[in-house]
Formats: sequence, C-alpha cells, structure tokens
Amino acid sequence: MAGVVLTEAAATVWRALEAGPREVGSLVASTGLDQSRVMVVATEGEAGGFLHVVARPRDEVEPAEDLAAQLALGLPERRAARLLADAGGALAMADFVAAARDADVAVNEVFRFGTARGWVQRGKGEVVLTDAGRAALDAPAADEAALAQVLAGQRFADEWAGVDAAEALRLLQGRAGLAKLRKRTERVLALTNAGAAALAAGVTVKREQNALSQEDLRSGAWRDITLRPYDVTLPAATVRPARLHPVRRIIEQARQAFLELGFEEVASPAVESAFWNFDALFQPQDHPARDMQDTFYMAEPARTTLPDPAIVQAVRGAHEDGGDTGSTGWGYTWRPERAEAVVLRTHTTAATIRALARKPNPPHKAFCVGWTHRNETLSFKHLPVFHQIDGIIIDEHANLATLLGTLDAFYRKMGFSGVRFKPAFYPYTEPSVDVMVYMESRGKWIEMGGSGIFRPEVTEPLGCKHPVLAWGLGVERLAMLRLGFPDIRELYQGGLDTVEGVPLCR
Amino acid sequence: MPVVSIDAARLNALLANSYAPERLSDALEQIGCDVEEVVELGRFRCPVCASMVEGSQGAETRVCGVCGHSQEAVFEQVDTITAIRLDLLAARPDLFDIGGLARALQGYLGEVRGMPQYPTAASPVVVRVDASVARPESFRPHIRCAVVQVPPLDDVGLATLMKLQENLHWGVGRDRKLASIGVYDLDTLEGDIAYTTLDPDAEPFEPLGMPGVTMSGRTILEEHPKGTAYAHLLADLKRYPVLRDAAGQVLSMPPIINSEGTRVRVGSTRLFVDVTGPSEAAVVNSLNMLVSSLCELGGQVSTVRVIGSDGAEVVSPDLTPRKYEVSLSRAKQWLGLPLDATSLVDCFERMRLDVAALDGGDLFQVTCPAFRSDVRHMVDLFEDLAIGFGYENIVPAIVPTMTVGRPRPEEQLSHLVRTALVGLGYTETMSLPMTTEADHFTRLGQPVPEHFVRVANPKLRALTVVRSHLMGGVLQALHENRRRPMPVRIFELDNCVRLDPAGENGTTEERRLCFADIGPDAGYASVRARLDALLWELGLTATFTAVEHPAFVPGRVARFTTGTPVEGLIGEVAPGVLDAFGIDLPVGLVECLIAPLAWDL
Repeated sequence: MAGVVLTEAAATVWRALEAGPREVGSLVASTGLDQSRVMVVATEGEAGGFLHVVARPRDEVEPAEDLAAQLALGLPERRAARLLADAGGALAMADFVAAARDADVAVNEVFRFGTARGWVQRGKGEVVLTDAGRAALDAPAADEAALAQVLAGQRFADEWAGVDAAEALRLLQGRAGLAKLRKRTERVLALTNAGAAALAAGVTVKREQNALSQEDLRSGAWRDITLRPYDVTLPAATVRPARLHPVRRIIEQARQAFLELGFEEVASPAVESAFWNFDALFQPQDHPARDMQDTFYMAEPARTTLPDPAIVQAVRGAHEDGGDTGSTGWGYTWRPERAEAVVLRTHTTAATIRALARKPNPPHKAFCVGWTHRNETLSFKHLPVFHQIDGIIIDEHANLATLLGTLDAFYRKMGFSGVRFKPAFYPYTEPSVDVMVYMESRGKWIEMGGSGIFRPEVTEPLGCKHPVLAWGLGVERLAMLRLGFPDIRELYQGGLDTVEGVPLCR
Repeated sequence: MPVVSIDAARLNALLANSYAPERLSDALEQIGCDVEEVVELGRFRCPVCASMVEGSQGAETRVCGVCGHSQEAVFEQVDTITAIRLDLLAARPDLFDIGGLARALQGYLGEVRGMPQYPTAASPVVVRVDASVARPESFRPHIRCAVVQVPPLDDVGLATLMKLQENLHWGVGRDRKLASIGVYDLDTLEGDIAYTTLDPDAEPFEPLGMPGVTMSGRTILEEHPKGTAYAHLLADLKRYPVLRDAAGQVLSMPPIINSEGTRVRVGSTRLFVDVTGPSEAAVVNSLNMLVSSLCELGGQVSTVRVIGSDGAEVVSPDLTPRKYEVSLSRAKQWLGLPLDATSLVDCFERMRLDVAALDGGDLFQVTCPAFRSDVRHMVDLFEDLAIGFGYENIVPAIVPTMTVGRPRPEEQLSHLVRTALVGLGYTETMSLPMTTEADHFTRLGQPVPEHFVRVANPKLRALTVVRSHLMGGVLQALHENRRRPMPVRIFELDNCVRLDPAGENGTTEERRLCFADIGPDAGYASVRARLDALLWELGLTATFTAVEHPAFVPGRVARFTTGTPVEGLIGEVAPGVLDAFGIDLPVGLVECLIAPLAWDL
C-alpha cells in the first residue's frame, strides 16, 4: 500500500492524535497551527475516512468581573433571607425596606430573584421568609455552588462536580450581573482505525506554502513545494484608482467637443462688472435678477470702471429707447453707477459677450467654462456656486437653422443619442430655443440647456452686425443626471466616496 | 415659477374642434409653453369662501389656497378634470390663462387666422383721479380701467378670473410692486368713481373675506392676511391709495385688498376693472392682458373715461394694435428658413398677427395686438415666424465657415498637471470657490486681513469670501476622508482671486494647485518626493528656501521657485491647524501658483 500523502499541517495533527482524541482548541495550542488550518485538516481527514470529528455542545459561564466580591458578600436574596430569619421570619414592608437599605441590600433584586427561588413571599403589606428560604440558609444553592467552581476555573458546566448543573444554569439565566452564559461547540478529533493504520504504515509529507520566496525560486526548492490552492471565486479587496473629479470629466468632455468644432476658448473675471454681466446683455437695471436677493454684490472691490465710452453710450441707448438698434428699448433712464457695481458673475455669458465685444466681426466662435454664482441657499437640488458652459458663433451664415445644427452636433459630442428643440423665451435671445436630449439611462427626454440668437439690442451696441448664436448649459445638473446622485452638495464636500463612486464609463 | 392648470375639456370648448389632451399639450409645447404634465385633478370646494380648490387625483384637499382655511375633514369634491399643467412664461403674460392659450391654439391649429378683434363700446363710467396719488407721501400715480360684460360667472369662471389676476400680479405687476389689479361687480357701484387716498387710521371699511368687520387701513396692514403679505409696498406712505364710488363706498385699497361689498360673485355679469401702480407700462399691460383674455371667454369690453387731476382725459382701455415693418430678406437671413411672401404671411397669420405686403416687395407690415407687450423689435416677430413655421420643421445645418479650435494656455498646463498628479496617485477633489473668513484665514492660523475679495450681501454666512488659495478646501476634504484607509492623496486645481487695483475690476485671477498626503507616514518627505516628480514632468527644477508660515510646522516648510510663474509653499501642516480642521493624522501639503490668468479683453 502506497503511503498516504499529507500536508505538513495534516501530518502534525494526525501525529498529535496518536495518543488519543483531542479537542480542537488544545490542538491549536499544542501545534501552533491556525484554528482554520486545523479545521481544514479535520474536514479533509473526515472526508477520506481517516478522522472522526465529534461536535459536542457545551455551556460556558463567563463570570462578571466582581463575581468573587459578590459571592463573598452574599447574594441579595440570601442576605434578605437572613434579615428575615433574624426578625423572626417576617417583616412589615416598610420595616423590611428600611432594614434592607441599612444593610445595603438591593430590594428589587430580592423580590425578583428571592421570589423566583421561592425563598421570600410578598404578603399583605409584609415580607415573609418561606420554609424553603429557611432551609436554604444552611447550604449554598446550585448556582452559588456552580459559581464558586467557575471562580476556581471550571467555566464549563460539564466540569462542575456535585452540582445540579441544569438547575444552576436555569437560575443563572438572565442574571448577567453575576455571569454571562454562552453556548459553545467543542469539536473533538480522533483517528479512525484507517487513520491509525495509515499513520502506522508511514505517510508522505508534502511541503505546502502560501507563496514562493526568491530563495525558493533561485535554489530550485520550488520543485518540492506545492502552493496552496485558493478559492478563486471569493471577492478581493476593493481598489480604486486615482482619478479626476466627475464634474471635471464633464467639463473636459465639453471643452473637447468645442475644440473639435473649431471654437476658441475664452475666459473672463469671476469678479465682474454689472455692465458686462447684465447691461451688455440688455438686462434692464430694474430686472429682478439684478436684485440683491439673487446676485452676489461685492463689498470689496465694490466699484469698477466702465469700458470704452462709445460702447457704454450705445448700450445706454439700447436700454433707454433702442438707440440705433431698431428697438423700442426698455423706456427708462439708464444709470452708469448701477453698471459700475461689481458682482460675482451670474453666468458665463459674461465671458462670451466680452469675447464678442473684443472681436465682433465674423467668423468668430468662442466658448467658456467657469464658475457662476447665484445668491441662493444650499439645498439638495441647488448650489449657490456652479459651473456653466457657454458658446457663441458670430458668422455670416449664423441663423436659426445653423443654431439647431450646431446644437445637435455639440450635444451628440456630449454623448446624447437624440437631440430635439422647442421654442422658449429667454431675455436676451430672439428666437430662443430649449434643447431636449434623450437620456438612455433614464429612457426619457430631458431639458438640458437654453440657446438662441442674441437680440440686436445686445450685439449692435458692441459693434456686431451679424446674427450671433448663443447657448449654455449647467454642468452640475448634467453631472447629477448622469451620475444619479440624490444630493448635489455631495459633489463639492470632498468625500472620495463621491469622486470614486462613479465608473469612468459614466 | 407659478404653475397653471388648464382644464382640457374647457380648452376644447373654446376651440372649433375637439383634441385629445396630449395633442393639446404637444401644440402648446410647439408654441413655446412649458408643459409640466397632463394629469387628472380633483376639484374641491372650500366650505368657508366657496372657492374651487384643485388637488391632484387621489390627494385629499383640506386646505384652501384662496382664503387659507384648513380643516380636518376633506373638502367636498366638485368634479374631476384632465388638466394640462404649465409653468408660466414670464415673457408671455398673454399666455397666462385659458383664454389666451385658446386664442394662440386657434391660430396654431389652423382654426382661425390673423389678429383677434376686440371692438370696444363706450361705458358711462367715469374715474376721477385725485392729485394726492401723485404726491410722494401717497405715491401710486397711474390708473387704467375698463368695464367688461361677461356671461354670468360660474364657480369655474370666477376661479379662472382670480387665478389670472394673481398671475398677472406676479408676471407683469412684479408681485404688485409695479401694478395691481382690482375687479368688482359693477352693479354694486354707484356713480362716478374717485381714485384718491385715505387716512390709514380713520376711514375704515369692510375688507374682502371679512363680512361684517370694518378695519382701518393700518389695521388691515397689521392684521389681515393680505395686508401683512403686502404691507411692505405701502410702508413709506402716509396716506394709502383708495377707490371710492359716488356714495363713498370703498372699492379697494390698492395694492392690498378689495372691499367685501363690491366683490365679484357667482352670477356677476358686469365687471369693473381697475389697474393702479407706479409703472404706467405695467398698468397698461396688465389691463390689456386681462380684458383681452376675458374677451376670449365671451366678454365685451367698454371703455372708461379716466380724468386726471389736471383735467386731462384718457379713454381706457386702449387696445389699438401696433404696427411693425418686417423685411422678408432679413427674416430669411436671421432664421435660415425657406420663406417666401406666401409662407411668411401664412406663418404670421397662424400666430394671430395681421400682415400686409408693403409695395409688393421685401417689406411687410405686421399688425400686433395690444396684448403682445413682448414685441419690441423686428426680431421678436422673427420668433413668431419661426414658431409659426414650426421648430420641428426646421432642417438643421452647420455653419460652413472653417475655424481652428484653440484652448486657453492655463488649461493646457492644467491638463499636464492633472495627468501627472493622477499618475502619482492623487485623486481630484473640488470645493466651492466661496468660503468663510474662519476657513480661509483663522483656522489656518492667520489673522483676517483688512482687505480681501469680499461679498456684501450673502444669504448664506458660509459664503462671504472669494477664495485666494486652495488649502482650506483641501484640508476640509482631508477631514471628510479621515475614516478612509490611509494614506489618502488628493489635489485641487482651480482658479483663485486676489485684490489687485491694477487688475480688471480690481482683481487678479490665477490658476492654483494644492495637493496633500495624509497618513501615519505623511509629511514633508512624502510630498517633497511627489512635488519633485511633478516638477520633473513639467520640465521644471525648483529652488527651496526655508521660510516661516503659521499654517506649517516651524522648520518643516519651504518656499520654492522655478524661474517660471510656478512657485509656492511646501511643508508639514501645523498640528494646531490640523486640530482646527478636525484632522488626527500628519499632513504634508503643497500650495502653489500654476499660472496667472491673462484676459484677452
């Protein structure tokens, strides 16, 4: 008969069992193997018919830290029984309570446990020591005897001598102040006859390792080593690569789309004059959007200077009576000091309109991505500071049809499979268009951004004689739709779970 | 933005043909309305003021939006309707109610062409304006009025009228600041009407909704729900505006409340309407919108003579249409649509405008009804042309002009920096560019400077400072991630703003970078190694000089320069700063300038 091949661990365990059955805990202690390794050996040995594994339930009693002191003093119900015995077997309730307090005996425990034991009885306004209680005065109860052995190291009920273990456990149930009860399972391993025979016939021990060392590989020892197999279906530890913020990825996608479409990237100050943020866009000076309620006004710097007087004069004309633009204007007196106020820009159109003023002649295609600000409070849906993307086209061929074509191209580059348009009404574009995009992930059309052709009251005072296409969208709204976050504030709280919680493909 | 619910069955009743609610909702979207949803709504009656209150189907209505009454028991349900719910378009008050929407749909759906006609007769009603309404201490100078004969009002008609009035207050009157509307049962009024002022502490009257209770003007502002809601509009006045009839009966105390005795009720057929306010344009527009819509609901308008304190007389309302010249070639250039004289006329007429060719050439005269207050330039009519043409019929095209894409220089540099940092194991975080003085200065061990980029009127106290560095945001992010497996490496790369009298609007903006390591082994050495790697990737070499900085551990902080704009601080964050940010592990951190931003202005 060829010798049985064993791992080193199995050989160690088998040999330890030659002298007789052993409990797993003691095997772990004497062999230095992990409990899990011993159990693997047990399971494999049992499957091969070489080992017996017997499981035995045991009750373990874990003593409270101060159990010794409690026992030395005497349990409350025992001390109460003595009090009652000294008083002739009964006390009026009030007297009993007073006496118990004097002796520092917890009355509620006396009633709870003393009654359960049948030692004391609560009668009509008095407390009586029963016959059982009187008898108990002479000898420890089962639990008290058991606890004394627990303190001496016999923590398992099957180790107690001369004690009714079942009764002791019943009495200890629910008395965590004294000790906690635990159900344990002890496994005892033993060699079967086949196991003993195989061991006697001689076994082959194979070297098994978790990993190969450089030395194992260099020396050739690897030839005699078996690498332990893994459960290759188990999950591994989570690893997340370092990466860009999800909002950054949308911004970069939009920038890429614009650059591919031949746009020049522009930027403008976040701290902006009301002139470029509002007046140049034909927003009347009493418009609610310009209120302190909606716009951040700066305390520092509080005022700025207006641009080229010719431009200022033309903008004033457009507001007051239309100037040379063919418009009726807004019909009010335009005040330069309101245009000199400094605000945090409320839209990136402030950047594109500056680009238009700088280079009003076609062809000129410009875009801007940047922070914009609205004086709002924070909520799960709204941020007071957020990113916008804005683009303009100044071209001889700019018109509503080419606006729709450009929007279609742009939004397809942003990853949307369907783009639709509907009329809208925005203050500085005419006509105005709402862009609806189809979101595959949601299976529906969603309003994604506004657009239109700048009104002549906007473009002509800045020296631009051609139709100008303009559109914009909010980055965070798109981010929320794509990523499916419930709360927009998460984006900027810095938690890496947010940044890393979105796969690159989204 | 207010939402209005339009009963599809009633809308159909105003149209020649009957359409499915979905067809109506599509058509409304195509003319530019913001359709929220088509939904079944229950309508309930308030047991106190008898108003119709809408509730979504299945929802039980217990609160009245009109009088504010609420009770335990559900209101009595009147009926169920299929409603089209619309977000109101601030720019188009003529589309605020079922009358105006029906008017637009009649044209768009091809039932009626051209401009609606609202002939007016003269009513005998005269309104005399007292000089006091133009004085600063009781200022509300403008008033326009009309008389409208309507079919006897039922519940629904009354609710529609009140809703339209409320929405015009929002959209045109700017929450009654510029103009406010009063509507009365003309049969409760006697003789000429005076627009004058009253003493807020004398001259009490019976306000709407409180039969049997008389209150002075001041008491109304202090105690009546409408009074407390709008008291701010009269806060600076010593005398309050009032309309009275010849018998001395108060009609209303604009812009706050009407009187109970003159209220419009179910069954009223002759309405007197006034609009008052400090803005003549808003007053005129509000009145024109209201009476034009009532005409669509079967009303007939009669004019009222408004006689000023100087004897000047205005006949009101004035529904005279306005005329605009439109160039076909300019329209084609603006829209890029295949229009000709015929299709131009067709599209305009579909939008309820009249149009006539001028000398058979390029120019057309478009006649625009008084309620189209949104038209102030030829391009506004181009928009009508495009909507009449149908956005869904436009063939998208691309501008054929060749242009070359060009990124901003700081973005190109930022792209390199991000690529290098992600390769070094840093994840990007972003924080809001507005912060507090505590987070930006104090917690970093620095005194709040005398001057910094500062907001005057933040609603949130957490947004007072525009950031000039990124450290605060990065340290807050480290705090957020303090329970993650260590080490954690993060960076932020974004714009910061500094005061600079020489800069545009008194500021300079720059692209800055902050990156940090946190963990048991993080410190100067860990970030220094990675800063060196980053600089190597950027082709830069740095010179390091020991400096002192309150945010860093003394002796473990350096200033580095590269001979380019890239320069900054590197060090171990001081334990006091870590403590202030709630961080319990060492942090090594770099904060540096990447590029100053130059504007092409």
